Amino acid sequence: MAKTLLMAKNAAEAIDAKIASAAFLAGGTEVNRLGSTVEAETLISLKKCEGLNSIKKDGDKVHIGSMCTFQDIVESEDVPAYLKEAALFMASRTKRNMATIGGNIAARRSDSYLLPVLCAVDAELSLLTGDLEESKNINLYINEENDDSLITGITVPESVQVASKRYANTAQSHAVITMSAASTAECVKLAVAVKNTGILSFNLSSSGRLTEEAAVAFFKNYEIKDIEDDMFGSVDYKRYLLGITAYDLCKQLIAESGKEV
Amino acid sequence: MDNQYKVVHCTINGKEVSQIVDVRASLTDMLRNDYRLTSVKKGCEVGECGACTVIINGESFNSCIYLAVWAEGKEIWTLEGLTGPGGELSDIQQAFIDEGAIQCGFCSPGFILTSWEIVNSGREYTDDELRKALSGHLCRCTGYENIFRAVKKTMLRRLGKNEEAELVNSQGITEYPDPMPFK
Repeated sequence: MAKTLLMAKNAAEAIDAKIASAAFLAGGTEVNRLGSTVEAETLISLKKCEGLNSIKKDGDKVHIGSMCTFQDIVESEDVPAYLKEAALFMASRTKRNMATIGGNIAARRSDSYLLPVLCAVDAELSLLTGDLEESKNINLYINEENDDSLITGITVPESVQVASKRYANTAQSHAVITMSAASTAECVKLAVAVKNTGILSFNLSSSGRLTEEAAVAFFKNYEIKDIEDDMFGSVDYKRYLLGITAYDLCKQLIAESGKEV
Repeated sequence: MDNQYKVVHCTINGKEVSQIVDVRASLTDMLRNDYRLTSVKKGCEVGECGACTVIINGESFNSCIYLAVWAEGKEIWTLEGLTGPGGELSDIQQAFIDEGAIQCGFCSPGFILTSWEIVNSGREYTDDELRKALSGHLCRCTGYENIFRAVKKTMLRRLGKNEEAELVNSQGITEYPDPMPFK
């Protein structure tokens, strides 16, 4: 359990205080909960950090500060509908008032609400590591284990077609899978969060027609590391769900765009 | 290493207060232990059940995962703050009683505070929006219908739609009378 708490006034102060035994604390829904797996001697609260909670539109891109809450995203006129839909997967309004986009990414949960959609649209993260500011594709970020960097912002494209689905027993339950599909010029990019397994990404080329049988067969045989039977379902169930969901999302994109996959 | 303490200055139920708290303490702990505001319930402590809900600067939050030190300078309302000076119940509290929306009562303070935020917003929610707005709370007794009806009726009454509020049936659906037949 953490013993000290630092209230950073800005991102530079937060990153200066970041040592190995410290962890960033954003909205608190992950770190403050009972049974949190985050272990740190010191917590660096970002709650009072200036400049991390704005939403700005820049041409076809939307820049979202990492401390924007899920509810900020839902209420903003500048945030694309696909991201609002994913934010609403968090059913509890009281939790949406607290949970932040940056915190949800950094937690890298296998049942993340936002990672699938952000990975599918290839969101760019603005990171601060020491004095270094850099931009990194979210798909690279989630596969790294460098926890010393601070996410200061997320940039997402505005005009991209996206379809998402989340499967859970109830609106409040942890999802067994959350999947998003984004249509790009070359392909459809699928990203999925599988509970207790992780985030997986796939590119589906636009050559040939996708059938439900083909999608189910693909996921039946695809090598997925760490997938196992658990209280959320058997491996067979999860693989089947991945297959039919991938098919459903692609079908939805085709219906909306007229493009074949 | 010694524990770290800080002084928090905030307003609780309209009263300005200062309190020394452990920096790791949740707002639930501060409200219950230091101010005996026991309407703030400790339920799941992971932010799922909504029993610990309080209003902070006009919005509902799960106080179990909200650090007490974050309350610095904030205006906090708990269920105790909704009653009048003589202990009179607010309209939303009375509606919960009238509609049988309370059984064991554990979830009620949280539900009532979120409902208070809803009815104070001054806008008319659709049934679907209302259900979604209440979905951050878990109730193991009532089956939710009575709670939904209490909130919907209070919302309509606050909007001056008293007659419409009386048309809300036991399932929470507004049953409009058949239109007048043509003569």
